[in-house]
Amino acid sequence: MTEHETDRANSLSNSLSNNRRPWRRRLTWALGLGLVIGFIWLIWIDYQVRRDFEALQWALPARIYARPAELYTGAHLDAAGLTDYLQRLGYRQVETVAGPGEYQVQDRQMRLQTRGFQFWDGREPGVHAQVEFRDSRIASVNAAPVTDAVPAAGRAFEGSLPLVRLEPVEIAQINPDTGEDRLPVSLDQVPESLVQAIIAVEDQRFYQHWGVDPKGILRALWVNLRRGEVAQGGSTLTQQLVKNLYLTQDRTLRRKIEEAVMALALELHFSKDAILAAYLNEVFLGQDGNRAIHGFTLAAQYYFARPLAELSLAELALLAGLPRGASFYNPRRNPERAINRRNTVLLSMLDQGYISADEYDSARQAELLTSSQPVRRNRAYPAFMDLVRLDLARDYDAEALRSEGLRIFTTLDLRVQGAMDAVLEQAVSAVEVPSDDGVRLQAAMVITDSNTGEVRALTGSRRPGAVGFNRALDAVRPIGSLVKPAVYLAALESGSFSLASVLSDRPVDLMTDNGQQWSPRNYDDEMFGDVYLHDALVSSLNLATVDLGVKIGVDSVVEMLEKMGHSRPIPEYLSVLLGAVDMAPLEVARFYQTLASNGFYSPLRSVEAVTTGQGERLQRYGFETEQVADAASMFLLEQALQDVFVDGTARSAAESLADNLPLAGKTGTTNDFRDSWFAGYGDDLTGVVWLGHDDNRSTGLTGATGALQVWTAVMKQLDIQPRQTRAPDVIVWEEVPERAAVRPTTESCRDTRLLPFRAEQLPVAVTACLPGESMLERVFDRIRNLNP
Amino acid sequence: MISRVLLVMVTGLVSACASYGPDNGQPTPVERSEPDAVESPAIVGPPMPPPGREPSASRQPSAGGEPSAPANPQTPATAASTLLASVDTAIAAGDLERAAAIGERALRISPRDATVWYRLASIRFRQQNYDDARGLARRALSYAGSDASLRLQINDLLDRLNSL
Repeated sequence: MTEHETDRANSLSNSLSNNRRPWRRRLTWALGLGLVIGFIWLIWIDYQVRRDFEALQWALPARIYARPAELYTGAHLDAAGLTDYLQRLGYRQVETVAGPGEYQVQDRQMRLQTRGFQFWDGREPGVHAQVEFRDSRIASVNAAPVTDAVPAAGRAFEGSLPLVRLEPVEIAQINPDTGEDRLPVSLDQVPESLVQAIIAVEDQRFYQHWGVDPKGILRALWVNLRRGEVAQGGSTLTQQLVKNLYLTQDRTLRRKIEEAVMALALELHFSKDAILAAYLNEVFLGQDGNRAIHGFTLAAQYYFARPLAELSLAELALLAGLPRGASFYNPRRNPERAINRRNTVLLSMLDQGYISADEYDSARQAELLTSSQPVRRNRAYPAFMDLVRLDLARDYDAEALRSEGLRIFTTLDLRVQGAMDAVLEQAVSAVEVPSDDGVRLQAAMVITDSNTGEVRALTGSRRPGAVGFNRALDAVRPIGSLVKPAVYLAALESGSFSLASVLSDRPVDLMTDNGQQWSPRNYDDEMFGDVYLHDALVSSLNLATVDLGVKIGVDSVVEMLEKMGHSRPIPEYLSVLLGAVDMAPLEVARFYQTLASNGFYSPLRSVEAVTTGQGERLQRYGFETEQVADAASMFLLEQALQDVFVDGTARSAAESLADNLPLAGKTGTTNDFRDSWFAGYGDDLTGVVWLGHDDNRSTGLTGATGALQVWTAVMKQLDIQPRQTRAPDVIVWEEVPERAAVRPTTESCRDTRLLPFRAEQLPVAVTACLPGESMLERVFDRIRNLNP
Repeated sequence: MISRVLLVMVTGLVSACASYGPDNGQPTPVERSEPDAVESPAIVGPPMPPPGREPSASRQPSAGGEPSAPANPQTPATAASTLLASVDTAIAAGDLERAAAIGERALRISPRDATVWYRLASIRFRQQNYDDARGLARRALSYAGSDASLRLQINDLLDRLNSL
């Protein structure tokens, strides 16, 4: 070693010995700092866990319900219809009804036990009812007789049940942005067996450990090795909950430590029951399109279409096995695996003494019966849901609908919508005139309750369930002759016209306001000369209608349309008289609704009430009605609109609807056959059908050859109820000459027919034919001859 | 003078014949005798329609004959009356909106029952929702037929609404 080298070695050793003390100090500092940071981190985590868990509130989707079915004597419902409804509610057909959610069928009788439901107007209790049917109606509803299965004790109802309201079917939902869906419940609403199954298979020592369970990890390892499969998990329910609530699915060591610390913090501050309840509601159990199924209550609905409380041990065990891998053990896609997993759960329950050997044996042999994959909740009834969203938007912002778990009760009638969906496509195909380029005819239909204006069914396309352009709401088209009832009603309301007023159905040249000549024509250029007002409407004569419209003034027609609910501005052109008014099918429905309810306007409604997730009433959209036309005018108008089916433009439907007549309605056709319309009503339902093309090309159909046929097919399916409109006291029936004449003679009265009139306003056509009157005339003549 | 006496005599003769003739239409109300008005189910309905034409329901006299019965013969009073009892309970509890909701439920079951419409009108009146009350009361009146006491109650409500 040279001297130089020795120096360097010395200086190195010096520097090392000099540095030894600061290094230690730094280490101490670092450790101290680490501890402080670690401590702060722990406090932070503890704070975070406490804060978040206390305020644990899931964003919950709004749930949309159809109108609940009501069972009462005379209700329009047959056994097949009720069975269909019950199946949609997830009821099970059994030999003998023994619990809620079950039904049995025997001959013309059905027996069922309902679940009860919290409606906006109070709680509907669950009942055990026996329903009898006759002629596609309910003949009687009684409390089921007392039997072994239905003990007398504890029964609230006996004898005849005047009215039973079933639970409403959930048809759709508006999901939160997270895509998560759940139905949170408290622990006492969860069946004991489910809790036992979960604890048995996921975390045996749940009630003993502090959030992490080293023993449990070892035990799980041992069990899994012994069975040669991953039967049990090592992480506790608390850890799993923490992972779901706060952490991503990363499997790094840091995450594991964080998870453990958070689990300990959670256990420190919250009870086992609170943690268990959160777990049962939080855990991911399946994927339905872009909707994530969380929690066991929703999983029961999703896989079995029934509430948790109605599931068997085998079904609960199946659900309890899902947290391990909801997709892997999906009972619909992988039934074998799901059954194996279920049996593993059952074995764990047996091992730990939760179930007996007998229970185990029967449960593991139970057949796996999942419900059919439900229609995606965000895709069901898209056209009707468009309307619901539109109506809700007045009172609720989008965020509230996506997150507050609201229950929205709509007016949709599953029977009506179902019948329409079943018939429409075929009915449209049957009338369609094929086009050269293969473009299909389009359709829209709206059905409302004739009495209340509630929308019962709606479609914006010929294909049920189609999404996209909703023609029922947005295809705003000229309505053609559908406008005529407004013209004739305005005339009858004026007091100067009766059904036997004589109109001129002759060519006419009119000057419009902007100085153009307007020469309207009849549909087939056939003209009738003098015609009764009644016949002009029944046969939809354009020239006679223009004659009438000019007499009463276009402004009074526009005013009438506005009174009947039309809200778009209407230019006061003469062409309005022949239907140059644009409306969407829904607006036409509103217009005809006023006719169907005898001159009382009611706004159309699609939502009846909104409640919280617990059933507390938030909003109710009550029934409104306003009289806009006199009862006598309405009676006279309806006489003509009923005769449209007898000898008018809708007579081609009379044969097919023979059991349902009288009905009232009107056809509509626009220029070049671009739109084919029919609007009509019975006592229970009002329906509007539009057929046309989005690019406005000709359909080759009139209202009668197109829309009327579709309307008839749907309404026949629905067994639409005949009109039973009662004549107001002022109405009398009188004979008038069969053929209209401006100056009727005795000769004209040879062939007569009956028409209704206001008693105080008999037209000359009546007085001319009154037998007494004509004899008087003769007497007068004789007297005059005697005394010249 | 002679011609006037003759005229009165002939008129009397003619009208006497007319009221028994088969195809004479309705006698005018002034000439209708009291028993006839009571016995005839068709006070406002037409006489028999001419042959070859189907009578429509609005021409059938039955609707005018039983004014107090619900219009739909298949709907018994029980379902609606049960609901009306619940309406009373809700009113007694002071929850008028609930009462209205139950009333509307009754309406869907018996849409032509004037009593139900009248009850709804009364509830809206109590809620000081006078526009809706008026519309509902008018609708009640349109279904009340010749139920005199109900008509009286409805008209009383309408009078009160009009005097506001």
